[in-house]
Amino acid sequence: MATTTSTGRSLTLRRVDSVAPDATVRHIDQLDDRSLELFYAALEGGRRLTATGTDLEPGTVVVATGYYRVEAA
Amino acid sequence: MTEYVIIGDGISGSSAAETLREEDPESSITVITDEGEALYNRILIKEHAKGKLPEAPISIHEEDWYEERDIELSLNTHVTGVDTDEKVVHTHEGDEIGYDKLLIATGGTPTQLPVDGSDAEGIHHFWTFQDARKIRESAEEAEKGVIVGAGLLGIDFAAVCGAQGVEGKYLMRGDRWWRYALSGEGAEIMHEGMRDVGVEPVFDSGVDHFETDDDGQVVAAVDPNGDRYECDFAGVAIGLTFNTEYLGDIDLEQDNGIVVDQYMQTNLEDVYAAGDITRFYDVLLGEQAQNGSWGSAKEQGRIAGVNMAADDEAEEFEWVSSYSITHFDFPFLSFGHPTLGDDHAERKYSDTEWRRIAFKDGKVVGGVLIGDLAPQSKLKQLMREQRVVADQKEVLLEETVDLDDLAPPQEQ
Repeated sequence: MATTTSTGRSLTLRRVDSVAPDATVRHIDQLDDRSLELFYAALEGGRRLTATGTDLEPGTVVVATGYYRVEAA
Repeated sequence: MTEYVIIGDGISGSSAAETLREEDPESSITVITDEGEALYNRILIKEHAKGKLPEAPISIHEEDWYEERDIELSLNTHVTGVDTDEKVVHTHEGDEIGYDKLLIATGGTPTQLPVDGSDAEGIHHFWTFQDARKIRESAEEAEKGVIVGAGLLGIDFAAVCGAQGVEGKYLMRGDRWWRYALSGEGAEIMHEGMRDVGVEPVFDSGVDHFETDDDGQVVAAVDPNGDRYECDFAGVAIGLTFNTEYLGDIDLEQDNGIVVDQYMQTNLEDVYAAGDITRFYDVLLGEQAQNGSWGSAKEQGRIAGVNMAADDEAEEFEWVSSYSITHFDFPFLSFGHPTLGDDHAERKYSDTEWRRIAFKDGKVVGGVLIGDLAPQSKLKQLMREQRVVADQKEVLLEETVDLDDLAPPQEQ
């Protein structure tokens, strides 16, 4: 599980196998550049994240090389 | 009260409508679409076709989204003509909708292969949500598939075959996938990704004709070499034909797309265009360009809305696009215009990592990253800054790109 921070909040990315019909789902190409950078850094892990903001919200599922649910840490 | 009419309810048209309502609260806004559903997430429909994503999360706007913003949405409505002298849009039901400013955002329709049998049952093109539903249904029943179109859209069909357990043959005319942007080394990583999901790339092939049974169902594709590939599912993605036929003979400048400037203005007064359908002036590239990415279309719609509401050249379109492929274990990202430019640099780092950077006049204008996307934000930054860096390719090809290692920018 990877961890990133967003405007004071800690977020984790959890890989999921399925998506609920009421989920908010975004493709990775919908993320802004900063969020994209943080997202992949968090996925790959081990990288220090110094940015302060993303446009990711807890509960959102992001479609990348897998499906990842953004969760509050 | 200004009357705005938007033809097309894709992301560019919808983005324009939202912007216009914010910029001009008292205006009249009409959005016309020939589809039967309001805006949905076009870059997620491939996940539905793969059988991985239910329908509901793909919808973006319900019809009440438009009602809440006092935007008139006309679904299932075909525009049959536009009279730019009288400033009227004609629909298939005989309605005449007047406008003060018009936005054309009708995108394209997948091009059909000009070969015998290409309209058979089981042969699919992929553009709308309805297409995705049919592809999902067809792929779930299929055993053998054929894919045609060695580009960014065709690879979605390969992913559908892989996810749905269809044994796929990907028939490519050249010696590799997306040969305009990838060298053999980069393409081979993608070929391995295809093989890993059960799709075999076939090179120097293509389709000469399809064979069908007595019911009109596709049963095989035959390539120009005479090789026959049995299939009960086929996906064709050889490009888009832009939806401009309804514009008739109005004097709108077109060049494989509607020509617009950086303000999304066409050559006709009060007529704008946005999204896939445009050949826009790219201020970073310094020439007209095209782009089919979601972000670019959304931003073009916003820019069109800003300038339509301002009745002025208030904001120009300046955008570095991204297009990701998420079907394999490794990430893939194309940005900007990787197939354009006058120079390039590339390097392979491992069996799953490769990078290409395209330059024009010494400046970064695009690239492709496979496996390691870490440099993407720095390369996009260089593109936005229009910095001359082509003489420092080694720095840009380092596994970890450090912009501080570049020589200071020269006065230009």
